[in-house]
Amino acid sequence: MIFASFEIAFTQSIWANVYLVALCLVYLIPTLTPKRIAWLLFMPVIPILGTWMSFYFHGTGDVWHTSWLLSTRIYAYIFLGAIVTFTMPINNLLGSLEQNCHIPSKFVYGTLGAFNFIPRVTQTVKQIQSAALMRGEVLHAWSPQIFFKAVLISLRWSDDLAQSMQSHGFWEQQKRSHFDTYPMPLWNWALALVALGGLQAVVFSGLG
Amino acid sequence: MSKQLTVKNLTFSYETDSPKILDQVNLVLQANTFNILYGPSGSGKSTLMKVLCGLYPEFAGTIQSGQVLIDAQDLADLQPGAIVKKIAFLFQNPLNQFAMTTVDLEFKFTLENLAIPKADMAQRIEAALGQLHISDLRYRKIDTLSGGELQKVALAITLAMDSQFIILDEPFASVDLASRQQLLVLLKDLQVNHGKTILLADHDLSGYADLADHLYQFDQGKVQEIADFGTVFAKFQHFDQHRTFPLPISADDCVLNFKDLSYGTGESPLVQNANLPLLQGKMVLLTGANGSGKSTLFKTLTRLHPFSGAIYYQQAEIRKIRPKQYAQKVALVFQNAQMQYLRLTLQEELDLSLAHAHHPEIWTPAVISAQLQALHLKGLEDHIVYQLSGGQQKKLQILEMLIVGTPVLLLDEPLAGLDMASIQVVLPMIATMAAKQQQTIIMISHQLTGVLNFFDYHLALADKTLSYQEVLAYQSIN
Repeated sequence: MIFASFEIAFTQSIWANVYLVALCLVYLIPTLTPKRIAWLLFMPVIPILGTWMSFYFHGTGDVWHTSWLLSTRIYAYIFLGAIVTFTMPINNLLGSLEQNCHIPSKFVYGTLGAFNFIPRVTQTVKQIQSAALMRGEVLHAWSPQIFFKAVLISLRWSDDLAQSMQSHGFWEQQKRSHFDTYPMPLWNWALALVALGGLQAVVFSGLG
Repeated sequence: MSKQLTVKNLTFSYETDSPKILDQVNLVLQANTFNILYGPSGSGKSTLMKVLCGLYPEFAGTIQSGQVLIDAQDLADLQPGAIVKKIAFLFQNPLNQFAMTTVDLEFKFTLENLAIPKADMAQRIEAALGQLHISDLRYRKIDTLSGGELQKVALAITLAMDSQFIILDEPFASVDLASRQQLLVLLKDLQVNHGKTILLADHDLSGYADLADHLYQFDQGKVQEIADFGTVFAKFQHFDQHRTFPLPISADDCVLNFKDLSYGTGESPLVQNANLPLLQGKMVLLTGANGSGKSTLFKTLTRLHPFSGAIYYQQAEIRKIRPKQYAQKVALVFQNAQMQYLRLTLQEELDLSLAHAHHPEIWTPAVISAQLQALHLKGLEDHIVYQLSGGQQKKLQILEMLIVGTPVLLLDEPLAGLDMASIQVVLPMIATMAAKQQQTIIMISHQLTGVLNFFDYHLALADKTLSYQEVLAYQSIN
């Protein structure tokens, strides 16, 4: 997937993008509700249309090719992202990265802990805004004061999180056991190879 | 091998040149005993406990001299994973204990950290939860649990880790009274029947007389064992005091009015169907056990917490008032002073409040100057507010919120962490300025000695009921 992402960043093939979107769709259809797939397809319409129009009307050279290439490329990235984020919960994704890609456990559990803080973050931002209103100040989402206070608070939280993890025995250098395992069976690798092979065929087929 | 935790001549400070928080502390915890560490809030008990379980100096401060030994091994030589198998720690704020989103995931995270084989995990989790009779909490989300439930889960995790020593830092700070009793029974059972050693810090000694084997007093960086602790416990119960308040007679002059107000946290209700008025220009003391929902009431009143029923500000339901307008009517002095700050220096903070003061004519430069003098904040105008001491931050926060002068001002534990001298300046200031600005004050305070004369009414939160009470029973320690 990472390889495919790099490849389409440098190739000029519209069909390669279309191939990737189609492949991802095939992968997503059994796991997602039609509503979610429709959301994936239509949500990005405005930025994609914007990209298409700006390259078509203001571009130079082969504007037809460039505008379609870049707008389909956006779709391809969105779908590549979707097969990661929509098909597994964040816990499984990080667990799999830890076990299969040997990403440091500090990164994995630090990220997971940060995700778990999201409800508290929303609540705290609300509190900061409310405290400001009580002093007659309106803090918008883009006010630098919110960021300043958020940084102060997150420094404290990150320390709290690290202490809570250590108090439950977490320490980066030690070997951990795993309750849930995320094995990568051989057919996964084979499927990935076939899909990538297909991509190469499209890229080098000479199609536009 | 004798199982004991020994502290030898331990001196600890946060910076090498800052005051010693622990000064030549010596302490021996014998296996299978129930120990209480007693001392005022903010005296450094938490620091000692975090050193005992190896979180400090890892996360803050330095050990200047001395050592902590577990089974004759220096704690400094042990890895965190090895320490928690021997010494477990329960935080004062139970939410700080958990890194995962559900009880089940937190257990698994912990057991994975200890490299417990997968095959043994389920059995360990079930046994630990079963032992504390909370098997039904296993798949609950952490943020839907009450303070008492959180501490029970935290305790169950120490059982799953099979730690010999369990160290608890003011574990009942956000736990209601009934859960406190249950937890104390469970802790005693763990000590007597399961060979655990308990060290528990608290500033309130009620309920420990029949449980404790040893009582230690923490004062000014030193720990001293109190041999004849029966008299200390007895003294605690001798100073039961009563105080009577009038009840509001008519609701004519009401500024806030509750109609069937109910709210809760997660799945547990805190207050059900409250119907009462808050009268204009009065000072109301709000009391209730830890975890009963006093702070949540303030969050509800400032629309930071969902509720059912209705709250009327004068005649308007508060959900129908625009947030910006409502914030000019009902303001909150947050428990955490830093939450209130919006500028960098003390002077800028005061200027901001003055710019939005409801009664600017009252707050002349001479008045402000006199208040700063009385609060010992004079001369600190150019200081960065975040670098002031805890007490200074609190005093500034109270002053700047008084300057704003909203018709209703809620104060959440404004006296906690202030010494008696400061309290005697702060409270008259609140009373005088609130009277001048015709403000309604509602204050949560655990500190009652020397405080009660300032209040017109006493509002009590008990058994999920909010009501005005004539009698306030309290204990004075000194």
